[in-house]
Amino acid sequence: MAYELTTTEKNELSTNQITQYIVVNIGEEQYGVDISYIDNIVRMQSITRVPKVPSYLKGVINLRGVIVPVMSLRIKMGLEPDEITKDTRIIIIKTGHELVGIMVDSVKEVVNINSDEVEKVSFDNRDEHSGYVMGVGKQDGALISLLDINAVFAEA
Amino acid sequence: MDVSQYLDIFLDESEEHLQNLNTQVLALEQDAENMDTVNEIFRTAHTFKGMAGTMGYKRMQNLTHDMENVFSKVRDGELKVSAKMVDVLFQCLDALEEYVSNIRETQDEGDNDNQPIIKALNAMLDGSDGDDSAAKAPAEEKKAEAPAKEAASGNKWDSVVIKEADYKKLDDAVNSGKKLYGLNVVVQDGCILKAARAFLVFKAIEELGEIITTDPSTQDIEDEKFESDFCMIIGSESTPDKIVQAVKNVSEIADCFIGEYTVNTPGDDMAEEPKEEEKETPKAETKQAAPAKNEVAPAGKASPTAQGSQKQGDKKAAGKPQVSHTIRVDIEKLDVLMNLVSELIIAKNSLVSAATASSSSGSGSNSINEHIEYLESVTTNLHESVMKVRMVPIESVVNKFPRMIRDLSKKLDKPMELYMSGEETELDRTVVDEIGDPLMHLLRNSADHGLESAEVRAQRGKPEVGSIFLDAYQDGNNVVIEVRDDGNGIDTDSVRQKAIERGIMTEEQAYATDDDDIIQLLFMPSFSTAKKVSDVSGRGVGLDVVKSKIEALSGEVEVKTKLGEGSTFIIRLPLTLAIIQALMVVVGGEKYAISLGSIQTIEDISPSDIKIVQSKEVIHLRGTVIPIIRLDEMLDCQSERKPDANMVVVIVKKGDKLAGLVVDELIGQQEIVIKSMGKYINKCKFISGATILGDGEIALILDSNAII
Repeated sequence: MAYELTTTEKNELSTNQITQYIVVNIGEEQYGVDISYIDNIVRMQSITRVPKVPSYLKGVINLRGVIVPVMSLRIKMGLEPDEITKDTRIIIIKTGHELVGIMVDSVKEVVNINSDEVEKVSFDNRDEHSGYVMGVGKQDGALISLLDINAVFAEA
Repeated sequence: MDVSQYLDIFLDESEEHLQNLNTQVLALEQDAENMDTVNEIFRTAHTFKGMAGTMGYKRMQNLTHDMENVFSKVRDGELKVSAKMVDVLFQCLDALEEYVSNIRETQDEGDNDNQPIIKALNAMLDGSDGDDSAAKAPAEEKKAEAPAKEAASGNKWDSVVIKEADYKKLDDAVNSGKKLYGLNVVVQDGCILKAARAFLVFKAIEELGEIITTDPSTQDIEDEKFESDFCMIIGSESTPDKIVQAVKNVSEIADCFIGEYTVNTPGDDMAEEPKEEEKETPKAETKQAAPAKNEVAPAGKASPTAQGSQKQGDKKAAGKPQVSHTIRVDIEKLDVLMNLVSELIIAKNSLVSAATASSSSGSGSNSINEHIEYLESVTTNLHESVMKVRMVPIESVVNKFPRMIRDLSKKLDKPMELYMSGEETELDRTVVDEIGDPLMHLLRNSADHGLESAEVRAQRGKPEVGSIFLDAYQDGNNVVIEVRDDGNGIDTDSVRQKAIERGIMTEEQAYATDDDDIIQLLFMPSFSTAKKVSDVSGRGVGLDVVKSKIEALSGEVEVKTKLGEGSTFIIRLPLTLAIIQALMVVVGGEKYAISLGSIQTIEDISPSDIKIVQSKEVIHLRGTVIPIIRLDEMLDCQSERKPDANMVVVIVKKGDKLAGLVVDELIGQQEIVIKSMGKYINKCKFISGATILGDGEIALILDSNAII
């Protein structure tokens, strides 16, 4: 494995970049979140509802004295509402100066994905959640949809 | 040492002096004969001159110098205060203000010499006879004073120990035709930067001659290791008067005594003595001499390095402003703070010991509660004190207004008078910094649009001189600032006309809208009722700026007006921005906070008391009809209250309007820290923020102003 990486590095040193992703499960699918956006991963905790906001915004949590809004990626992508289990986690993302949490079913692992292993997806406007994916990475035969963090928070 | 490190203090002091001068010159305009005022202006101008000079701002120094000259003549009764003179003085103050603001931004005073003002000042001086005598008189006075005090001080410099290496310097000085003087410089009591002042004295003297030695040593003086005075032996070609003058020009120097210095030993021995010593103790002496030389060196070098750094400062001109926001704090407030912090530490320690005790014996919970109560009272007081440190009187802002109204009165050719009260009212420093512009807009507005011209006022049977009032006072958790005038008031019909012209409303709408709402139109961007656009206002950029500025400070503006009698603009500002007293309530199982400041009363209402008026629910309470707002419906949650049970209604007010908020349950009063929820989720206008409760839970803060 290590050997493979170094050869690819040698071959395409100028164009390839390795990015670390945290792989999370949402429903049946695996999603990758660029680790450089992640501030923290916390267990599910009590969320205070905020009235009169879009339904995908679940409310706010107290993260060590800072108030952080939390959104449900499931609702945002038009899936079934979250079912909270002991594996449910909130991933705290840094966007600019602010923190925003996203709820995921569980967190799996950290992977290195080389940019030449990423396939761009062709946009299908009918598919509601493909807009939040910037590409599909291959890792040990599994497919990981790489989340476009900026697109996820863009409409907010 | 670098002068630029005193820039902050210089700027602070300059602003204070300028404000003082403005106030005094205004007073002078009212009462030209008052000698106290004249003296005060003279003193301030003099200190100001010294400060500017030592910081190396020559243009500022020149201008203040000429101003000082004029006052020295006024003081001596050779010049009468005239209206023209006051005008020139105000121009002069404006020019100085410009210098100061230039310095604040670029560390450079700019290159405007303000020649016309200097000419005007000099013309005033020449206008009277014997202008030289005025300048001489104070100098002579000081001459007479100096020797008298000199005797009293007992020629302190005689006791200065001359080190061996310095004898040669003394010799050199005498040989090069310089006279030797002993100098005793006394620094004012309570001077904060003694070393800096001493350094400025050194600098001033080095321009006139050479410093041979000092007592205490130069190093000690730089390290501020001296009480209130220090001595020095200098060699100089200038006269004692000039030297004293130069030293006294440094601000916060209380006094300076000078006398010719003669070496203790008779003339011939002077040259021999050191030689003899040299012979007797050849090695030990030279060792001593070497450090002594080193000690003198910094003094000699101080001047060039300082000048160098000043030049650097000049070069920095293009850079960004480097001035920090400072706050002057009453030492008592800091003492209280210090005490509280000590108490906090004690409270923590007792809590720690109580915790240890309880874990060992298992019976300490009572004492822990006690300690927690103690801790609570300490933190509450600590919070209050910190807030107080941040509080400054609005004086610093409003003091410039009398001058502004005076200028406006001349410009608009309307006689008017400004009456102020409550200048001592305190507000958070950040609020005070921001409140200046809105108030200025309102005052200009009153002066320009509000007050009628003298003729119209005479016709209407009002006193010809219009009055503008600026009143500040504290009202519960708010500070209220009112700008009131006895002018024309707002003509709502002409506002309606304007709204129709502008196409904001149709004619029907305009006449269906009540006066209060019509007045609100004035706060819209680019809406002005002034018929003419004047230099002062009328471009319609005033009131909307006022409103947005005040709202940014979480305050509100209200207008009361009566046509023909005048109008009042009422600004309400919260005392503090970060921590408030709030009432915690429960709605549908969720906790919400309502600012205590907006709550009028809390009522227990039976559902049968609710009446329907214009398809809205209202209650009739002590003669007032109050609309009812069901918070559970508004906040999209399910009330847990039984429909036929009595309702808890929190009556909130916004200006004159009242509303009753129906809640499920009251929890109680609590001090809460307001936290922002961030712009991502900040969509709900009824929620102004959130707070974290003791158990880590989050409660949202209801903005009752938005709800009503």
